[in-house]
Amino acid sequence: MSLLELRHVHRHRARGSRRVEVLRDVSLEVDAGELVAVWGLRRSGRSTLLAVAAGVEPPDGGVVLFAGEDLNARGVRMLGDGVGYCAQGVGVASRRKVIDNVRAGLLARGMHAPVAYARAHAVLQRVGVERFNGLAMGDLDAAEAVRVAIACALVHGPRVLVIDEPTKGVDLLERDKIVLLLRSLADEGIAVLVSDGDGSGLSDADRALTLAEGELRGRCSPEMGMVLPLRPAGNSSAV
Amino acid sequence: MRSPVNWTVLGLVIERPSYGWELWTRFERLYGDVLPVGGESHIYRALEALRSKGLIEELDEPRTGAGTSRQPKPHYQATMEGLERYAEWVMAQVREHNRRALLFARQLGALAAEPETALAILGRYEQAWLDDKGARIPTASEFPACSVPGLADRLASSYGRDVKAATLGWIEYARREFVALASKKPQPL
Repeated sequence: MSLLELRHVHRHRARGSRRVEVLRDVSLEVDAGELVAVWGLRRSGRSTLLAVAAGVEPPDGGVVLFAGEDLNARGVRMLGDGVGYCAQGVGVASRRKVIDNVRAGLLARGMHAPVAYARAHAVLQRVGVERFNGLAMGDLDAAEAVRVAIACALVHGPRVLVIDEPTKGVDLLERDKIVLLLRSLADEGIAVLVSDGDGSGLSDADRALTLAEGELRGRCSPEMGMVLPLRPAGNSSAV
Repeated sequence: MRSPVNWTVLGLVIERPSYGWELWTRFERLYGDVLPVGGESHIYRALEALRSKGLIEELDEPRTGAGTSRQPKPHYQATMEGLERYAEWVMAQVREHNRRALLFARQLGALAAEPETALAILGRYEQAWLDDKGARIPTASEFPACSVPGLADRLASSYGRDVKAATLGWIEYARREFVALASKKPQPL
């Protein structure tokens, strides 16, 4: 059983007066320690796929399972705990401080403020932006904002991380570093699912897939992937 | 000079003046997957060919290699002509690459009456691109000690990624063309 599993998922969207089937019988499995990248053209449905995979949006048909449990079943709440989700550009223009942004979720769950601060600081250090603790989100460039978004998800200790286009708008020389950060998180045992529009995440992924006209193509389950890992665990010195 | 091995060795000498064994190890690390050769003897033969054509020259004072042996080794550096010829060869490779890509696209177009066959080819072509790991990002531990660490690796990785994204976009375009043709194809009674 894979950690994250989509079974025969369908999802529709309204585009003007039309109803478009964005995901058509999509099945996908992601194991712990895997980095899986989904490439697609604009409006291919890749953001929808990730939102459904993270449990942010319910599927119109099919089921999404986290550790065997239906993410959309009544009473199940995995987002923010078992599943971390980073949408595109959320909070980028905010005047809220970076450290406050990262610890907000912890405080909302009743964590003692100094403990929340220490945990948020440690996670910001892990993703390489602890020096921006006191800056406002709006003062960050795209690469820094993505790292903070990843920190916001990581601070809850997720087992699955779903990130929508982490390299979009990121400076060309910074793209690799973001991908290597994601690779290192997967090497630590997190199941990482990313969408990709510019090809950045494809080569360092364990499996690369394409999404077009609602259809997911490629090696959609770990059994169909490569046998050997790309890089042994712990070899993340370039991050 | 037609051998791509010779030109590649010339590129390595341009990157950093060096001697046979070190060039062989660098060749293996950077090009072993895309330009496999049988052994280091190919590198020595390439050096001799390059030297005889005046594209490289021996440094005046032989240096000791980085290995355990203290025996002086002939070190080579590129001549100005070597640099100019290398640039011409690299450009010729780009033209050849473009020519092959056009050939593939046009040869696939010959299957207009057999769209299912074309779609099967496209499916295999797409999977090959998705499985390709040649453009993965090098880690710091893989960078050799040189003046611009890992530049060749990073350029190759970035190039491979951008080409991959562009090719996947083209495959999707071609697929839609053939799907449209398949839908118009008369069905057997």
